[in-house]
Amino acid sequence: MKRLLSPVSGILRTYLVDVGAHVTPDTEIALVESMKMEIPVLAESSGRVTALLADPSSMIEEGQPLLELGV
Amino acid sequence: MSWDKELDEVARRRELAFRMGGADKVARQHASGKLTVRERIEALLDPGSFRETGTIAGSARYDGTELVDFMPANQIAGHGTIDARPVAVVGDDFTVRGGAADASIYEKLLYPERLAHDLRMPIVRLVDGTGGGGSVRTLESKGFTYVPALPGWHVLDANLTRVPVIGLALGSVAGLGAARVAASHYSLMVRETAQIFAAGPPVVAHAGRPVTKEELGGSQLHARNGTVDDEVESEQDAFARTRRFLSYLPRSVHELPGRHPSDDDPRRREEMLLSIVPHDERKVYAMRPIVEAIVDRGSFFEIGRLWGRSVIGGLARFNGISCAVLASDPYHYGGAWTRTSSEKLTRLVDLADTFHLPIVHLVDVPGFQIGVDAERAATIRAGVRAMSAIERSTVPWCTILVRKCFGVAGAASRPAGRLSMRYAWPSGSWGSLPIAGGLEAAYRAELAAAPNPQALRAQIEARLRAVTSPLRSAEKFSIEEIIDPRDTRRLVCEFADLALHALTPGPSAQPYRP
Repeated sequence: MKRLLSPVSGILRTYLVDVGAHVTPDTEIALVESMKMEIPVLAESSGRVTALLADPSSMIEEGQPLLELGV
Repeated sequence: MSWDKELDEVARRRELAFRMGGADKVARQHASGKLTVRERIEALLDPGSFRETGTIAGSARYDGTELVDFMPANQIAGHGTIDARPVAVVGDDFTVRGGAADASIYEKLLYPERLAHDLRMPIVRLVDGTGGGGSVRTLESKGFTYVPALPGWHVLDANLTRVPVIGLALGSVAGLGAARVAASHYSLMVRETAQIFAAGPPVVAHAGRPVTKEELGGSQLHARNGTVDDEVESEQDAFARTRRFLSYLPRSVHELPGRHPSDDDPRRREEMLLSIVPHDERKVYAMRPIVEAIVDRGSFFEIGRLWGRSVIGGLARFNGISCAVLASDPYHYGGAWTRTSSEKLTRLVDLADTFHLPIVHLVDVPGFQIGVDAERAATIRAGVRAMSAIERSTVPWCTILVRKCFGVAGAASRPAGRLSMRYAWPSGSWGSLPIAGGLEAAYRAELAAAPNPQALRAQIEARLRAVTSPLRSAEKFSIEEIIDPRDTRRLVCEFADLALHALTPGPSAQPYRP
């Protein structure tokens, strides 16, 4: 079980994947608004999304877990 | 009468030294996924080039005049070559007392440092142990306690201003071992087999909750907070990256890096550069492909990929000339300077200035990171340190404004007090504050009083946008030249050719800060 952490603080605009989706490194998994830009968050490893951990439209901090990946 | 008998005794002791901590300890070293120190040195250096010093240093036990037991000191030291260039090397032997200081001979640890300093060659430290003062047990054997000191640390420190220093963490390293890794120009750790801490889990557990070695000092922490520059998957990767890092640098500050042969056309143009930056300023693009497109093909050696991530940094060649490359990464705070990316900038600029590498900076900087997190992290403190490093540097700079250049951090993207060649792409956009955000601050009263603030905001924005064309800046020589992005490689290669003749060997006026 791996957790993907947000690389930036900002507002979580939307998730780009659902629970069950298979991601590989560099899959865009969410959009975070930070420094007045839409910053895509990229997956760092491969796996299947088992849970989304933050609420869309909420403030998130750098290092906050965004989703959980199962193998 | 020959001296064969005496030489036989030397050979016997060498054989004992080569057993290291004994077959059991060597097997345990291998079982934990680690090479022995002698295997490491062999893998690092050119084959057959190692010249060992202090081979039979260690602690011996005698029965009368007869040697009955011998344990080698737990550092191996000497010199050899990497790509036919000399390099000093020192490695901890974890199979002897776990690399702890009580089985070391301090003079032997210092010898390779002095060798590197006085004969002007890089030094590679293979760290796998604690180093420093050792166990509390020594209180019983010594019968007294002492005020801690770091004899010889001044040589390690001086080396940072003289020769390339590389620190590799290859096991659990604590105390002085951790300091010897971090006091370097380039450091890395092996994922899962290496950990770095001021004090290990048993000491920490005494002070609070129990933690594992990986939690306390694994690469998932330290390759992401800048304690070390990079993490690697294996010791072989660590040695390969060490060899590659050294290939960009001179042997010491007293020489220049010189020019490597290159068969990549300096006038090569990459079509994708024309469209890679989106018109919509809210959209990001990938900076690394831009770096790869303009440097000599395959020559970009990235340093610190996982920390200080809004700045991409590393070494590369332009028409065979070694340069330091800095570039913004819009995927991290839009390229804004954070505390850690400012620290990364400081280290890379110091590195470039110490070893006479011209600096190429690809800029997309909206300013310093803003917000509560940024203020809590003391961003401006680290930021002005980076600004000082940039301002005090003396190597030639070439700045390419790829997109944004705003605020104090944008202004600091090159040294202000001397010439820096500068080009802007047509996507360039600059000012004290970006219109988004800056508009609300500047026209707050008007917007508050307006019957339809939205409409007024749009009206004002249209007025401001009309004068933000980079061409208007070029009219006033605020930007020197606007270029076709596809010509970037040609122009930077021409800069590197000019810069090569404007470099002065010798110690840098600004001593390197680890």
